[in-house]
Amino acid sequence: MNLNNLTANDAAGSQERVSFPLLFLTFFRIGMLTLGGGLAMVPVIRHELVFRRRWLNDNDFIGMMSMATVVPGAVAVNLAYLLGAELRGKKGSAVAVLGTVLPSFFVILFIAKFLLPFFDYPRVSAFLRGCAIAVAGQLAFAAFIFGRKLFHRWQHLAVCAAGVIAVGVFGLHPLFGLLAAGLLGYRLLPENRKPLQARLKVRRQAREES
Amino acid sequence: MRILTGLFVSFSLIGLGAYGGGLVTIPLIQHELVEQRQWMEFDDMARILAVAQMTPGPIAVNAATFTGFRLGSVPGAIVATASVIFPSLLILVALAPFAGRFKHNSHARKLRKGIQLGVLSLIIFAVWSYGSGVVQGLLELSIAAAAFLFLVIFEGKLHPLVVILSCGALGALIF
Repeated sequence: MNLNNLTANDAAGSQERVSFPLLFLTFFRIGMLTLGGGLAMVPVIRHELVFRRRWLNDNDFIGMMSMATVVPGAVAVNLAYLLGAELRGKKGSAVAVLGTVLPSFFVILFIAKFLLPFFDYPRVSAFLRGCAIAVAGQLAFAAFIFGRKLFHRWQHLAVCAAGVIAVGVFGLHPLFGLLAAGLLGYRLLPENRKPLQARLKVRRQAREES
Repeated sequence: MRILTGLFVSFSLIGLGAYGGGLVTIPLIQHELVEQRQWMEFDDMARILAVAQMTPGPIAVNAATFTGFRLGSVPGAIVATASVIFPSLLILVALAPFAGRFKHNSHARKLRKGIQLGVLSLIIFAVWSYGSGVVQGLLELSIAAAAFLFLVIFEGKLHPLVVILSCGALGALIF
């Protein structure tokens, strides 16, 4: 990983050392700009780090992204930790994580302190009720997208159903739902086949040879 | 002090389950804050989540700050926010050295696929548990369905925030 990073830095002709204030400011910007969370913010982060700052190239970004999504937690925060550590070690990761979290921290603090009394005004309350209903639609949309991506075999359906039953029928803590599905998936799911593109490539090569 | 330890435990658990996107934390937050600890009513939580979705930053982190502030003022906000990111940072510290080996290991891959499916089960569960909380009649149901349809039809072209704000505006007009 270190080797990769070295070549990436050379390729970008980059600065010897990223200063702490710049690291902080960059992630502060990212924290401020990432509205909506989740995958909506990946392009924003990519723009900031790869094109604006040139701290890493696209390949390294994708590698770091996959590491950030493999562990639980907010992607932006994980990414800040990883990149901060790459650029400036332990202190760097602390600075980057703080930079990512502080904007929303202050925004929420402001809302909670000064705007909360207005939440009971009929109009504001009705507005928030509409927003809360939209979140239900958003959840259904997320279920639709994930389902389309993940369901390929009956085993996938079975694993997912087990999670729903553990939480919905037996009323277990949602974390047990994750755990149950994880373990059942481990027992039940077949070895991963090669990705589709790799399979197509093999098939194409075989056809060309014959 | 007791509320601070409670916030620490609850939001560490929520952070631990925040796997693959912020929406999966909704059932966790509901379970921890409304059902388990009974720190707030469902409607209060739904408001906090709506605000957390509309403001910059990850939804779980925003919800943590908001809830922490309401229950324990500024110290509460700090503790809750730190707790929600703490488990993932701990795991990153522990796993980062083995990342390369981990990524191509078929055991790890199968486990991960299972957890991804588990995330989907939590979201499906949340469509029911959260949905039945906010949807009380035909009117609410049709707004939620419209939001869903807009997101599906304009997939990738429509920022989710636009849908949330439009539903909010609609709500302000008709409720």
